[in-house]
Amino acid sequence: MNFNLEHFKESLIYGLAYLPNTLSLVFVPLVIGLTFGTVIALVRVYKVPVIGWLMAVFVTVYQGIPIVVALMIYNLIFMLKFNDLAAFLHLKKSISDMNNIWVGIFALSMAAVCSISEAVRGALLSIDKGQNEAGYSVGLTTIQTIRRIIIPQMIPVAIPMLINNVVGLIKASSVVMAIGIVEIVAGATIPSSRTYSFFEGYVAAAVIYWGFTVVVESLAQRLKKYTGKFRRNLYD
Amino acid sequence: MIEVKNIKKNFGKHSVLKDVSVKVEDGQVVVILGPSGSGKTTLLRCINFLENADSGRLTIGNLEVDLKKSTKKEILNIRRRTAFVFQNYNLFANKTAIENVMEGLVTGRHVPKAQARERAEEALNWVGLSDKFNYYPAQLSGGQQQRVGIARAFVLDPEVILFDEPTSALDPELVGETLDIIKKVAEKGITMIVVTHEMSFAQDVADKVIFMDGGIVVEEGTPEVIFSNPKEERTKQFLSRIISLDPNYSI
Repeated sequence: MNFNLEHFKESLIYGLAYLPNTLSLVFVPLVIGLTFGTVIALVRVYKVPVIGWLMAVFVTVYQGIPIVVALMIYNLIFMLKFNDLAAFLHLKKSISDMNNIWVGIFALSMAAVCSISEAVRGALLSIDKGQNEAGYSVGLTTIQTIRRIIIPQMIPVAIPMLINNVVGLIKASSVVMAIGIVEIVAGATIPSSRTYSFFEGYVAAAVIYWGFTVVVESLAQRLKKYTGKFRRNLYD
Repeated sequence: MIEVKNIKKNFGKHSVLKDVSVKVEDGQVVVILGPSGSGKTTLLRCINFLENADSGRLTIGNLEVDLKKSTKKEILNIRRRTAFVFQNYNLFANKTAIENVMEGLVTGRHVPKAQARERAEEALNWVGLSDKFNYYPAQLSGGQQQRVGIARAFVLDPEVILFDEPTSALDPELVGETLDIIKKVAEKGITMIVVTHEMSFAQDVADKVIFMDGGIVVEEGTPEVIFSNPKEERTKQFLSRIISLDPNYSI
């Protein structure tokens, strides 16, 4: 098999051109996942009546669905129901005006919320109960204790698991190809359909993902060092 | 004055506190003695609502609450009048020594930061940690951590400080330095309830000794009476085992 460096370069450029799409498919779900995932984890760890139980059921059930399947379902609903919904809300938009990248972002966000909530819950459970009690004993409310004592201690514990989640999200973002969103993989293989150099196209996509992942991991390591400065080097 | 009336607490089927009542006058140091599982720690934790009692009433100063049916506001109110020193220190791991001491003032009581810092520095100096302000708990020894714990409780100027076996996680040398600090707190005239196994400390510092066993108060009185002339058979038995331990005995 020949490796055509010219075609590889061309694929690399095309792939990078669609990097912004992948970025929004990773970072929007990441932010949503961190926000709602942390809330769900707290609700479950602090055993909020009913809601805690509902969230546990939701996370368990939702994690049993592959992302591709969920994506297809959301896309079908989106295509069938968007016009009705727009009419109902008196929006002057039809489905042809809409970019279905939002469907991809929604599907990835739901998956991120679930997996991040599990990572955060694990980190929360690792914190000694005495830290809560100490907070209460000096007159802090539960919310104050969570905000000032528990979450700062949870972050450095959660980061290694969160790195896993982000890397998973970066790679999972390529499945949105299935509903026709162009991201790194689809972008890198655009020239391939003309030049027949699919091998170069996919290698170019792999190289971009690899670079992306390396950058994210090194940033996360720094963040972990910074947020965990109160711990002895023992864990790092 | 702190008064606990008719407190009961079960863990499942196991009844840990069976109708216990305790009264502590202002400025008094009360030491609670008793074997493991006698309910002394649970009693202390119920006073600070770290455990929810099944029934009973609690009075601190002019505030009286039902231990079972108390609102969140009442609980917070009680907690802001009390302070707790834990067996395993429980310093906030993400905060330095000085931040640990300031936390209850700044966040819990809305004391301005500069003023809180001043009071925290004073408290840490007082427990002999003037050179450790910016150390994290993980960088301090057990004895130093417990002294920070005492400063954290003391700085709040509470109506009562509850000590839950403050020295039992420390080695014999560190026990001494920590007990000295607790004695200093007692000399300041702060009301204290201390659960401990340190008999000589109880003899030295206590105004009143309460002996608990099996979830009830077996006997209470001045240390002189309890240690030299106990009435109840169970108290005699417990004290004889402890006091007869040969101090020169080594394992």
